[in-house]
Amino acid sequence: MSMKRIGLIAGVAAALIGAGSAIAQQTGDGPWQQDPYPSRYQAPPADDMLLRGATILDGAGGRIDGGDLLLRGGKIVAVGKGLANPGVREIDARGRWVTPGIIDVHTHSGTWVMPLTAIDHRASDVSEVATPNAADTWIETAVNPQDMAFDRALMNGVTTMQILPGSVPIFAGRSAVVKPVRGATVWDMKAVGGVQGFKMACGENPKSWGADDDNEGPTSRQGVISYMRQTFLDAQAYKQAVERARAGRGDMPPRDLKLESVAGILAGDIRVNLHCYRAGDIAAVLSVAKEFGFRIGAIHHATEAYKIPDLLRESGTCAAVWADWWGFKVEAQDAVRAGAPLLERAGVCVMMHSDSASDGQRLNIAAAKAAAAGRRIGIETPPETMIKWTTSNPASLLGLENRVGTLAPGLQADVVLWSGNPFSIYSRADMVLIDGAIAWDRSNPPVAPISDFELGRGGVVP
Amino acid sequence: MRKLVSLVACTLSLAFLPIVPAAAQTIAVTNAEAWTMDGDTPVPDATILIEQGRIVSVTAGGAAPADATIIDAGGKPVTPGLVNGATQIGLVEISGSPDTSDTGSAHERSPGNDVSLALNGKSTLVSLARADGLTRALIYPSPSRHAPFSGEPAFARLRDGADILDVANVGVYAVIGGGKWDRIGSRGVQWTVLREALDDAKRKLGSHSSDNRKKRGKASVAAAETSGDESGQELLRDVLQGEAPLAIQTNRETDIRQAIKLASDYDITVIIVGGDEAWRVADMLAAANIAVVLDPSANIPRSFDELGVRQDNAAILAAAGVRIAVGQAGGNIHTNYNAGMGLREAAGLAVANGLPYIDALRAVTLNPLEIWGRDGGRLVPGAEADLVVWDGDPLEPSTLARHVILEGRETETRSRQDLLAERYLAEHNRDAR
Repeated sequence: MSMKRIGLIAGVAAALIGAGSAIAQQTGDGPWQQDPYPSRYQAPPADDMLLRGATILDGAGGRIDGGDLLLRGGKIVAVGKGLANPGVREIDARGRWVTPGIIDVHTHSGTWVMPLTAIDHRASDVSEVATPNAADTWIETAVNPQDMAFDRALMNGVTTMQILPGSVPIFAGRSAVVKPVRGATVWDMKAVGGVQGFKMACGENPKSWGADDDNEGPTSRQGVISYMRQTFLDAQAYKQAVERARAGRGDMPPRDLKLESVAGILAGDIRVNLHCYRAGDIAAVLSVAKEFGFRIGAIHHATEAYKIPDLLRESGTCAAVWADWWGFKVEAQDAVRAGAPLLERAGVCVMMHSDSASDGQRLNIAAAKAAAAGRRIGIETPPETMIKWTTSNPASLLGLENRVGTLAPGLQADVVLWSGNPFSIYSRADMVLIDGAIAWDRSNPPVAPISDFELGRGGVVP
Repeated sequence: MRKLVSLVACTLSLAFLPIVPAAAQTIAVTNAEAWTMDGDTPVPDATILIEQGRIVSVTAGGAAPADATIIDAGGKPVTPGLVNGATQIGLVEISGSPDTSDTGSAHERSPGNDVSLALNGKSTLVSLARADGLTRALIYPSPSRHAPFSGEPAFARLRDGADILDVANVGVYAVIGGGKWDRIGSRGVQWTVLREALDDAKRKLGSHSSDNRKKRGKASVAAAETSGDESGQELLRDVLQGEAPLAIQTNRETDIRQAIKLASDYDITVIIVGGDEAWRVADMLAAANIAVVLDPSANIPRSFDELGVRQDNAAILAAAGVRIAVGQAGGNIHTNYNAGMGLREAAGLAVANGLPYIDALRAVTLNPLEIWGRDGGRLVPGAEADLVVWDGDPLEPSTLARHVILEGRETETRSRQDLLAERYLAEHNRDAR
């Protein structure tokens, strides 16, 4: 299918649904930079306010006791002490804490939708598993926005989520970054301005799938790594053909959606999130990345990353870790709770991630557990550092560091007002703002459930 | 002090460990905020004296004997050892590898699964849970081939070494719910089969002479063999005679109502495990004196049985007078892999959602023991000395267990994770030089 025709179809579709500017967005030169599924997210009118007298963790490593935060027009205007009120609503935040909105870079919400039913076990939307190369897939085309996991995340201070495909395919497809706001489709939630994400996997999950007689794919670790190299070689040839055609030295190769995505990785336009546990697996894929000249954004799960901090640091690759998932499979035997503080201390960019709608509600508590485990071995991590693991570091992975993840003038006002220390199990998200608009107010909860799924089922909220 | 303590721990771990500690040392925990669980508030500046594996005294400002090993709590909380109301530690090592897991029976003919025979105290899951302050736990089996039964749970005591059995056969464990039993289908049939099993046991009870009443504990298997029953069936007679509880893992309101009716019809003790919608029938459960072992972290329904799940379930139940304990805390991975930390985090969440603090502490100490028919869970004279010295609030996940004393002995609190972390911290330091 030609690029022209794709654009035409998207344009017609946009006209039919009256979506205004919703046509395929060309964000760069490569065909891999086209976004056939543009965002329809629109920030609601902003609730301008001045939060007064809070303990502020700015997400960048700073802490202000008795600090003020001024939000106007959806943006952060000022952070400091004794700010003048230009005439906006003032909230007494004394005794409470303020942080950037929490960012979870690893969720399957919208595709691993609870309550699970038989169809999820028969044909799950978490991964496309027809082949080990699902690089052509976009997870957003599967996301069910009525997953109540989005609401639970929001109520607990999460303002940005990266939905990743699962870890069965080696090349699992493109990720989607969303705001946990109510919408009829995922595109009403889609966050813009970041770097397109992509999921890859190594180790037990892809090889176990391949080992099943019914399935296609390699059956061993070495087979998985070799499959990666061959796929990158093919994409390299494709990318070179595209570049030659652009320079007027040949015909444009026929579009190939799989090769296109992988070529985007090689071009540095698409960022890899790699599911990987063991140190050797991580090191092998870092070598492949070096061979083909691209940078992996983050190793996810990375249960043995603490064994090879130098390799991660040198590669400029982050680690997205749990605090305390361990042991449930062979490659997770050596996970330690102190992984995050060990990596932080060694100068590696580290962040907490959830992989779970339940744990995703408490990424700060995961950080607290990790820091406590660090304390057991003599590593002290202050709150202003811990908060980086759930705000600015994940923002950087998503390429959103100039928009969210830090409380600094000019950035989007994705902010949480906590009832107390955000690393305490007793603290609640009193107020959650997304783009400066109140998305959750604990003192004024919605009368009906947020998710259509819950409406009229006689659940918790009638 | 730390060096001395670890020396003691090392010596102890080398020693032969009988079930009843012989001539255990005298330990005095001083300067403790002692949550004895006798009242609603702690004893401040307490000295807890431990001799021969038992607590001798808990006194405010009390003096320590000269020969006692002193553990200075530094004004921090000291609680009874934590107790998990439902977990499978000791049965499973790598859940993804069935050859390392002993949770479920695949036996076609016998409905029994006496998990006490499989318990392994050397499991890394056990040592981590102990390092997080867990000293006892109810260990339950996974569903068998005989709907709706899983088998017979046991109580574990997480002492150092392989033998962590506290007591076997503490009840009968069943599971009821949507899609839980492919072989028999509908939950209607599941309830019918459960009632038929009880009816059958009742008939046998009538035909057996009264001197055939079985002893509790390890004796049940032998008793079952001598009476010609399949393992597991014998214990149902204990259930009927009020000597053991029937635990029913179920979540939907209609099923909890069925469980209440079952308890009444057969005049038996029923425990609800799960109970995500129990809050809807809190008053009925209180009136029927049915306890609930629950996961306060649950707030998303995993199945259609759980549509009413809410995080203040514990608070609503406790306010209605239902006895609650925390179990299966944190869901799949945490239930077993963080049987100590997950328990504390979930109890803390219950407090964040309205459960009074003291009730949350009881839900992870006294209550699970009482619910499953065990003694303990208090810091009182004469009690077996299971206690934890914390460096902060035990329900805060950021708090560490500094000392875990079990049956009067200080146990090892460094887990395999600590050893790995220390090894690589040393390597990082060497690389940095």
